[in-house]
Amino acid sequence: MSDNGQTSERILGDPIVITEDVKKWFGDFQALKGVTATVREREVVVIIGPSGSGKSTYIRCINRLEAHQEGTIIVDGTELTNDIKNVEKIRSEVGMVFQQFNLFPHLTVLDNITLAPQWVRKRPKAEAEEMGMALLEQMGIPEQASKYPGQLSGGQQQRVAIARSLAMEPRIMLFDEPTSALDPEMIKEVLDVMKDLAASGMTMIVVTHEMGFAKEVADRVMFFDYGTIVEEGTPEHFFTNPQHDRTKLFLSQIL
Amino acid sequence: MTVQVREHQKTPLWRNATVLKWAAQLFVLGAILAVFALLVSQALTNFASSDISFGWQWLSSPTGVQLREGIDVVPDSGARALLVGIVNTLRVAISGIFAATILGTLIGISRLSKNWIVNKIATVYIETIRNIPLLVQIFFWSALAVTLPALTADDVGEYFFKVSNKGFAFAGIFPGLGWLPWLMFVIVGFFVGRYVAKRRKKYQEDTGKPGHGGRYWFGIVLLSGIIGWFAWPLLGFMSHVFGAIESFVDGLPPVVFPIIIALAAIVGSMWWIRNFFESRRTPAGFGKMTDDDWFRVIFAGVSGVTVAVLAFVVGGFSLETVAGDTQSVAELIRTVIGNFFGWLSAAFAGDVSTIVAETQMRVREGGPLVFSKPAVVLLGAGIPQYARTGLVITVPFFAIWTGVTLYTAAFIAEIVRGGILAVPKGQTEAAQAMGFRRGQYLRLIILPQAFRIILPPMGNQYLNLAKNTSLGLAVAYADIVAVGFTIMNQTGQSLPVVVVWMAFFVTMSLTISAIVNYYNRKMMLVER
Repeated sequence: MSDNGQTSERILGDPIVITEDVKKWFGDFQALKGVTATVREREVVVIIGPSGSGKSTYIRCINRLEAHQEGTIIVDGTELTNDIKNVEKIRSEVGMVFQQFNLFPHLTVLDNITLAPQWVRKRPKAEAEEMGMALLEQMGIPEQASKYPGQLSGGQQQRVAIARSLAMEPRIMLFDEPTSALDPEMIKEVLDVMKDLAASGMTMIVVTHEMGFAKEVADRVMFFDYGTIVEEGTPEHFFTNPQHDRTKLFLSQIL
Repeated sequence: MTVQVREHQKTPLWRNATVLKWAAQLFVLGAILAVFALLVSQALTNFASSDISFGWQWLSSPTGVQLREGIDVVPDSGARALLVGIVNTLRVAISGIFAATILGTLIGISRLSKNWIVNKIATVYIETIRNIPLLVQIFFWSALAVTLPALTADDVGEYFFKVSNKGFAFAGIFPGLGWLPWLMFVIVGFFVGRYVAKRRKKYQEDTGKPGHGGRYWFGIVLLSGIIGWFAWPLLGFMSHVFGAIESFVDGLPPVVFPIIIALAAIVGSMWWIRNFFESRRTPAGFGKMTDDDWFRVIFAGVSGVTVAVLAFVVGGFSLETVAGDTQSVAELIRTVIGNFFGWLSAAFAGDVSTIVAETQMRVREGGPLVFSKPAVVLLGAGIPQYARTGLVITVPFFAIWTGVTLYTAAFIAEIVRGGILAVPKGQTEAAQAMGFRRGQYLRLIILPQAFRIILPPMGNQYLNLAKNTSLGLAVAYADIVAVGFTIMNQTGQSLPVVVVWMAFFVTMSLTISAIVNYYNRKMMLVER
């Protein structure tokens, strides 16, 4: 059903993120030089590439943490423009996990998770807390609910951050190098949570340097360099038979 | 293989780090006490040899000081005059702190605004204000106010608002007959309302239905205010209670007061030491005490005992209060406490004389709050002047208040800006990514974190503002410094007045510090 091929049993749905010729400048530096890509429902896309290649900028454009200057971005049928209402709608449907976790240090773990459901989704506190506890259970850290982020390990913090995003019941999850700030032994616990999430059918766009995760979980791998997609394909194609010299060079350096 | 140690010697004392550290600590402590004792004895000797004695008669004798504004413009004693000065200082300091905080926060946020004009206005404000000495600014505001039109005989009459070179006069609401018992009703209403509001908030959180907590709170306060308006005489019995306390205090032997102070000092230091030991106790057992820890414990104990001894020594001092009549400090303390309860007793009886003198003109009938309008009248010599009604912001008050408020606001603005910038950008991004609106995430996420960073330097600014009010002397504002200065000139008692000044400013500053520290500790981030 998918012309991209599939590594798992997930059945891909309709396109949910469509970007067409997206361009973005920071001053006179062009970070994105026309990125065209489509992500379908329940698809897991892994983006790799050297630093400064525009991969983080690209996913930050998808929930408009950065505003693109040219091209079109359509998320779940809504085009991202200067219309504040559209931006708010999309942000509440797109969850994001950051490299530095960005938990709110002045709130407990549970309050971190329930804050947005209460204020953005207007859920009653009791309901939000019930859901927050269920998510912490899912992340394997229900006993940390009343602690503060500063008291948790990096891996635990990142799992709280994932729970915090999921509490908004997003349709798409963006991951911006979620394991890059973690000690090696904590990377696995975060990747395991992400694998479970992928298996549950979440649409995910993941910027990462974890090639193991890409091989095992991704439906599609995109390789970014100098603000464009140099090559994309199934993990099989990508890791065993890359076409471009730049891709080959990159893979030879990191594998 | 055994490790060879050179011939084991006993460490000589002058090389023993522990001994040296203790010796240094004790030496410094001893040196400070010695210098202090020397200064005091020298000062006393000098006073003894000169005509002027180190005396306190002026506290209770009429000084002939006349003040331009305050709760009592013709105080009947030096102590009363100083009290008026203290109230005037606190007036500027407290209202200035609140105003500077609000203004400074707004300007600080404006400095970060993406709106070019707003941003530049804030920048110009800060760069202008903080680069001109405060004293010059105070003179500027004073000079500016003096250019306002003068009052003439044509101006005689009542006004809601009147501007002249004698100051700004506003109509307003002031405490009237029975204001204190009425206030009790309002305070009780406030706490009942807070309890109800909390219940409503919980209801809202549990059910998701609007709880209208704020409306309930406001309604209850309003209701208790209305009830209190008519019911305040019911609290008249409190007058008898406080009257009884007053006569009880007056009947106590004076020695009771040094005993209470000494006990408080000793209990306080014991409590501190106990807490300190408690903080060294770990689940594994009692932690190891370092030398510094022991020194602190000893210092706390010695301080407690010293204060206790001083309480008796100072309490026994005889002061020549009225010429020829002496009173011990302990008796003086008894008088002050007794007077306070006497004042409360009178206030609950609805006695008009408890209402500060400045407002006596406006207090006639009406109730706990009185509406009063400013008026221009002709004084004896036909000079137009504001009557003692309404709220009159005099030129000196305007100059010192505007000066310290605007000046401190400029520094607070920079602190607020720095605090907001110090919150990592990731916090904003995470909040935006979850769909929070700007107002929401500023209030819920950024400001609470900035507040922790801002608080300690903010405390410094509050202290600066409070201390800078002493510059009011330059524009003849009747604060504690100006009043003390007048007393000094009239009685020649400079050192006692300076001692009172210092004691007042230390007390005020430590109170501000204590409040800021309290909030700071409450706000501390939990780290691993």
